[in-house]
Amino acid sequence: MDTSTHISEEEKDILQEIMNIAFGKAAADLAEVINIFVVLSVPDIKIIKAVDLPNYIRTEFCEFSNISIVEQNFWGGFKGNALLVFQADAGKELIALLGDSGELTHESEFSDILENETLIEVGNILIGACVGKVAELLQDVVTYSPPRIIFEDHSSVSMPKTLFDPSNSAIILKTVFSFNERNVNGFLFLITSDNSVVWLKKALADFMEKYE
Amino acid sequence: MNEFSQIFETVNFGLIILNTELKVTHWNHWMARQSGIDAKQITGAPLFDFFPEINTPRFLRNLNSVLSFGNFSFFSQKLHRFLFPFKPAGSFKSTIFEYMQQSCTMGPIRDDDNQITGVFLIVQDVTELASYEQKLMEMNIKDGLTGVYNRRFFQTRLNEEFQRHKRYGSKLSLIMFDIDFFKKVNDCHGHQCGDAVLQAVASKIASSIRQTDFLVRYGGEEFCCLLPQTGLADALLLAERFRKIIEAQVTTYQQNDVKVTISLGVSAPTIGDSAESLLKRTDEALYQAKNSGRNRVVSMLTGHIEQTGLDNIT
Repeated sequence: MDTSTHISEEEKDILQEIMNIAFGKAAADLAEVINIFVVLSVPDIKIIKAVDLPNYIRTEFCEFSNISIVEQNFWGGFKGNALLVFQADAGKELIALLGDSGELTHESEFSDILENETLIEVGNILIGACVGKVAELLQDVVTYSPPRIIFEDHSSVSMPKTLFDPSNSAIILKTVFSFNERNVNGFLFLITSDNSVVWLKKALADFMEKYE
Repeated sequence: MNEFSQIFETVNFGLIILNTELKVTHWNHWMARQSGIDAKQITGAPLFDFFPEINTPRFLRNLNSVLSFGNFSFFSQKLHRFLFPFKPAGSFKSTIFEYMQQSCTMGPIRDDDNQITGVFLIVQDVTELASYEQKLMEMNIKDGLTGVYNRRFFQTRLNEEFQRHKRYGSKLSLIMFDIDFFKKVNDCHGHQCGDAVLQAVASKIASSIRQTDFLVRYGGEEFCCLLPQTGLADALLLAERFRKIIEAQVTTYQQNDVKVTISLGVSAPTIGDSAESLLKRTDEALYQAKNSGRNRVVSMLTGHIEQTGLDNIT
């Protein structure tokens, strides 16, 4: 096994397979445990330089006028940032989805807060389920920082600079998710550093050993 | 007591550990102090037996995500206000909040094999922060002198109500009024007296509108009253009532009795209106009321003028 930070085509395939299993489990558990029915597409894996990520995101979402991104750090052997990108009006739909609208106040100031907080809550659950399942398959345990919304306006991208340390690779695991019955969808990105890539390569090798 | 137990007992926030059956296994001193429930009493008991109000879909959703996924869950004060219904501690006993505002975190507890054996809950008292935030928010939308809404808030609100009117066809009307000869009050009795008059007028009108109406200080001595779900006819009646109330009111400032009157313009949206054109027409109605002798109500709907209060020309 080489210790470089280069991920081979084979490793990429393994990762793809792990993601498929993980996200399938995550979706099943979300439905069973929390009653949230979410469809997660087969993830698409790309590896790019982290510095190129803002441009990548901008290009991906150029058709949306506004987006909301829930960001959460996770750390274990597998560590990095998870970004969950929603269309800007997803908050309102999610409030209805969670069915807690009884707590709703209709005053303009508060509904913004409620929308953001709902995005954060749903983001937290989704990211936790997806990252948690991947970690589980790779025999890892991760902890998370509190989630936050990093920017809401497409035109003024202001993501934390440390994310884009030139030495970082961004493993982009893009999955499209949509909630049944609700017109809410979005994208999940996981961004990891080179340190994590070394760990990931070993974990992938260990994972495959079980089947060889 | 080992060192971690000492920290557990002395930290200035609540720490609880529950097993997978949601029975309390640890309850720190802070929790005992705030709840009045001793660790001895609650240990071994299901948390919901003592706090049935916590058993909500949202709490369970988050709890399950911690137990099944090893997630961390965050209950922000902004959304949840609090989890545990405790009285505010210390100097916040008599503040705006009936209950201590809390920010809570929940996460998994694992054994040596990484199996989840329970959850921990951290409860932080954020009442002080929340009350500052509330004060800031109020300053942001209210007028400092009179306590009614400010102009900035009014603009947002007017646009929102206007959109609602357009979308759902709900009624909407607007009253603008202005204290007559207010400059004279300032000149004769001083600006402090003028301020007292402004406060008296604002509070009198504020106490005679519904909770769903918005009274706004629009400018120096000019006010607006936004009336959702109200048609022009009702708005006119209300405006006339405002006029009579203020006419009858006497403000006493340092042994001086000051009487003022108000002029009012009333309007409601018509086809082709925008929020701006509605505001402009209401302002024109007010201008008419001023021009035709003050202490009166003028309504304007597509240029048609109606007046009331003509018997009271000053």
